[in-house]
Amino acid sequence: MAVNLKRSSGVESDGGRTSRRRMLGWLAGAGLLGSAGLSAVSNFLFIKPRATYGQPQRFSVGKPEDFPSGTRAILAVRGICIIREGSKLAAISTTCTHLGCTVGSADTGFACPCHGSRFDQDGNVTGGPAPRPLPWFQITLAPNGEIEVDKDIEIAPGSYLTL
Amino acid sequence: MSRPTPPKSSLLATLMDVPKNVWNSIFRNPLPSNDLERSATTFTNFFLHIHPVKVHKNSLRPAYTFGLGLISFFLFVILTVTGILLMFYYVPSTTQAYDRMLDLRGTVAFGTLLRNMHRWSAHGMVAVVFLHLCRVFLTGAYKKPREFNWVVGVILFLLTLFLSFTGYLLPWDQLAFWAITVGTAIAGYAPIVGKDIQFLLMGGTSVGQEALLRFYVLHVAVLPAILTLMIAIHFWRIRKDGGLSRPADADPSPSLEAMENAVAPKASVLEPKKLYGLQGLVRGPLTKVGQVPDNTVFSWPNLFLAELFTFVVTLSAILILSLIFNAPLEEPVNALHPPNPAKAPWYFLGLQEMVSYSAFWGGIGMPTIFVLLLLGTPYVDRSPKGVGKWFSRDRLLTNTIFIAFVVANIIFVIIGTFFRGANWSFVTPW
Repeated sequence: MAVNLKRSSGVESDGGRTSRRRMLGWLAGAGLLGSAGLSAVSNFLFIKPRATYGQPQRFSVGKPEDFPSGTRAILAVRGICIIREGSKLAAISTTCTHLGCTVGSADTGFACPCHGSRFDQDGNVTGGPAPRPLPWFQITLAPNGEIEVDKDIEIAPGSYLTL
Repeated sequence: MSRPTPPKSSLLATLMDVPKNVWNSIFRNPLPSNDLERSATTFTNFFLHIHPVKVHKNSLRPAYTFGLGLISFFLFVILTVTGILLMFYYVPSTTQAYDRMLDLRGTVAFGTLLRNMHRWSAHGMVAVVFLHLCRVFLTGAYKKPREFNWVVGVILFLLTLFLSFTGYLLPWDQLAFWAITVGTAIAGYAPIVGKDIQFLLMGGTSVGQEALLRFYVLHVAVLPAILTLMIAIHFWRIRKDGGLSRPADADPSPSLEAMENAVAPKASVLEPKKLYGLQGLVRGPLTKVGQVPDNTVFSWPNLFLAELFTFVVTLSAILILSLIFNAPLEEPVNALHPPNPAKAPWYFLGLQEMVSYSAFWGGIGMPTIFVLLLLGTPYVDRSPKGVGKWFSRDRLLTNTIFIAFVVANIIFVIIGTFFRGANWSFVTPW
C-alpha cells in the first residue's frame, strides 16, 4: 500500500494565458458555490414563516364604566394595564421591555419577576436592567361606546384619553 | 486463521459447524492471547478501530484526565438512547406536551425512570463537559498541534448548552415557557440580525405552538446531528494529533539512529516524486517504522477495560440518581404570570444574573467575549511549555486568568441560586 504524492501537472499556464482546464475549473467551482449559496438562501426562506398566528393587536376592553376612577386593572390576557384617573384613561403594556416577561403590579408601580426590573405607576424605569419605559398604547372610544386599544400604535407616555 | 474444513459429503458436519462459522464470520479474531492478536482485534473491529493499537501509559493515568471526555461521551450515548425512547410518547404540542409528561409519570412503564435518566444525564453532561474543558485548559492540552481540536471542543460545549436549553423547553411547563420567552428575547438583543433570529426561533412574533415545534426539531434532530458530527471530528483529531497530550518527558528519548527511522515527516516536506508507505505519512510518535523504546501498552485490554469501567460507573451513577431523585416538572404553562422568581436551571443562573444587569452585555456581549477568549487561547498562547501537567508552574499566569473567570462565573451562579428572591431582588438565604 503506498500513496503517490506526485502532483498532477495538467494545469500549466503558458505565457499568461489561462488554460482551458483552469477556466473550466473556475466555472465549475463558481457553479458549486453558487448552488450552495442558493440552497442556503432557500432554506432560510423556507424556515421564515410567511403567516404567523397570534392574538389580534387591536381589541376592545369594555365600557368606560367598567373602570371606575382610580382603577389600575391588569388585563393579563391582553398584556396591558388599564388606568383610569378621573375622566382620563390609558393603556400601558405589561410586557417587560427587558426580556419579555410579564410584569406584575407592585406597591410603587410594576415589578418584573425574571430579572428585577422596576417601573413606576406610569411605566417609567425606576430600577433594574429594563432599557425603556413600558410603552403606552393608543386608546380610543369606539362608536359603540367601548374602549378600544391598539397595541400596534405606541403613544407618548402621559397622553391620556379624556372622556 | 486455519480452521478444519468438513468433508464435502457430510451435510451434518456442515450444519454442526454453522454456529462456529457464523461466529467466525462476524469476529475475525479469537479472544486475544498474544500481542499480534491484540493488535489485530483492535484494528479489525469496527467499534474498536477508532482506538490506537497501543496507547501511551500517560493517557491511562486516571489522575491526568479523570476520564471526563469519555464520561461526556457516555452521557451523550445515554441521552440519545433515553431521548429516542421518550420520543415514542412525546408530542410537541402546546396542548399535549404537558399531559404527556404526566403520562410518562403515571401510566408509561419506566416512564419516570427514563425521564429522570434523561434529565440527570443532561445536567451531568453540562457539568462534565465543562470540567473536561477545565481539565484540557489546566493541563495546557490545547497547545500545538491540538489547537483546532480545542476549537472543536469549545463548539461541543456550546452545542451541549444549546441542547440542554432546547431540551428543558419541551415539557411546556412554566420553566419552559418563560425560558423560551427570555431566551429568544436575549437573541433579539444581538446586533443587526438579532430581531430576525428571534423571529426565526419563535416562528412568529409571540411564543407559542410554532416556537415549541421549532425547539423540538432543534433538540431531537438538528443539534444532535451537528453534535454527533463534531464528536466524530473531535475523536478523529485526537488520533491524528498524536493521542492525548502528555509532558515532553513522558517519552524516553530515543537514540539518534532510531529517531531517523521513527519521526514521520510533515506532508509539506515530503518529496512529491517519491512513493511513501502509509506509515511514513502518519504523524505522531505512536507510529514507528523502526524499533524505538516507548511508554505504550496495548489497548486490549488496558484501554478497553478502563473505558468499560468508566461506562459502568457513569451508567450506575445516572441510574442511582434517577431512582432517588425525580426530574422536576413545574406547573403547566401560564402565559399570564411568570413564576416569581422565575429561575433558570443552575447552569444558566450565572447568565441570568448577568442578564439582570444588562440584557445586551449579560446575554450577548460577555458570553461572546468569553467564547472568543476560549477560541483564541491556543492561537495567542504559543509557548510549548507546561503541556501535560496539572497546574504547571510554566502556565501560572494563563491558568490563573482562566481560574479567575471560572470562579467569577461560579460566584454569579451562587448569587443567582441562593441570593435572589421574589422580583429578583437580593435576599439572604439564612
